[in-house]
This record gives sequence, C-alpha cells and structure tokens, in this order.
Amino acid sequence: MDLSQLPIFSSMTKRMSWLTQRQAVLAQNIANADTPDYKPRDLKPLDFKNIVRNYHAGLAATATHAGHLSPSGSARTTTTFQEIVQKDTHETTLSGNAVALEEQMMKAAETSMAYEMTVNLYRKHISMIKTALGRGN
Amino acid sequence: MDLMKVIQIAAAGMQAQGTRVRIIAENIANADSLAETPDGDPYRRKIVTFQNLLDRELGVNKVSVKRIRLDMSDFGKRFDPQHPAADADGYVKTPNVKSLLEVMDMRQAQRSYQANLGVITLSKRMIGQTIDLLR
Repeated sequence: MDLSQLPIFSSMTKRMSWLTQRQAVLAQNIANADTPDYKPRDLKPLDFKNIVRNYHAGLAATATHAGHLSPSGSARTTTTFQEIVQKDTHETTLSGNAVALEEQMMKAAETSMAYEMTVNLYRKHISMIKTALGRGN
Repeated sequence: MDLMKVIQIAAAGMQAQGTRVRIIAENIANADSLAETPDGDPYRRKIVTFQNLLDRELGVNKVSVKRIRLDMSDFGKRFDPQHPAADADGYVKTPNVKSLLEVMDMRQAQRSYQANLGVITLSKRMIGQTIDLLR
C-alpha cells in the first residue's frame, strides 16, 4: 500500500516538508543575524487551499499527438515553497540588518513544535491503520 | 535531507561567530601593544565583516566571513617621555582598541553563537522525531 496515495498522509508529508524548509530559512536568518544589509526571510504560509490544490497532480493528461503539451506534473509536486522577504521587521540596525534574534528563535521553536505535532499525527494514523488490520495495540 | 542543511547553515554561522571572537581576542590581547620606534605604529584594531554567500554544493545561503579589515580610526595618545616610541613632545601612540567596545562585541557574538546552537538543537530534535516514525 502506498501511503502517499492517502490524502491525509500526503498532506501531512507536505506539511512536514514545508516546516523543514521553513526551518532552513529561519536558520539562515539566525546565522545572518550580524550580516550588514541582511533582511530576514520567511516562507509563504501553507494554507489549506495550498495543500489541497496540488493533490491530484499525478493525474496528467495523456499526450496522443506530438504537438500536445503535457502539464509538468512532476514540477507541480516538487517540495519547494515560495520564499518571501519579511516585511514587518521589528528593528533595523545601523548596518542595515533587520534580524530580530528573539523573533526568529520564537519562529524556529514554533516550527519545531508544529513538526512534532505533525509527526505525532502521522504516527497516530499509522497506528489506526494497524488497528484496522488487526495488529494494533 | 533538508534538516541536515539547517544544521550546516547554523554551523556556518557558528564558525563565522567563532572567527569574530578570535579577532576580538586578538584585539583585547593587543590592547597595549605599542610601537618600538617613534615613527612606528602601534597595534591597529581589526574588524570582521560578514556576508551572505550562496553555497553551490548545498544550494543554500550561508553566512561567512567576508573580510578582516583594519580599523583606520585615530590612535590614542599617552604622555610617556621615557618610552622608546615617544615622539619629540614625549607622547606615545596607543592602539585604537577600546576594551569596553570589544567586550560588548564579544557578548553579541556569544548571543548569536547561542542562537545558532539553539537552531541545531531544534533541528536535531526534529530529525529524531522523524526517525522515531520508524518504530
């Protein structure tokens, strides 16, 4: 059984890769907390519409003619999310750096917590499937 | 895995801050390094500048030390006619290192280092949780 065929698992996987990428962006912000002219970045929030929209990306139209263009299904399922430069920054130092370390640390902790929650949900659903199979505990 | 990238970004940040602390240590250690002759210059304070650079191997932007520059501000002066480096008026040029400034800078570097360390801890926890899914 392919777990990624189940909507709940594919959306949780997506959420996890979003959180992972966000953590990378936040790590970059924190590492650059003293770099002149550096502006903090963040990922575009992952909303429900975003999760659902690309769900059936696997169903591509069949090209029966050489002139048919195929929608790039693989490109739509890639796990890169849009990066944005954070607009509402707290303070900018004289060197032009706008990273507030506390804010970024808070976001990193928040991301870690959300990740933990998603992982636990994932595990819970797996155990529910196991229960359905009659091997649960 | 992306979370390994996170760790490498944070590690690069720690490395940059480490270089900064090294330079600060040099400055503080040389706060009293005077010249030997009247026309010589005493120790000149060093400054570290950072930059955000794309690491092509990882495909992420990492922080790195851009350049270690010399602080070209004026030297201090101290009246000490006995000193071999004293000029005709009896003044000796002292290094342009201000200990208070250096200590403050060091605290800031320490704070940034700690923040990077925090990111590594968080990422490690996330990786651990993912691995725990196998159980």
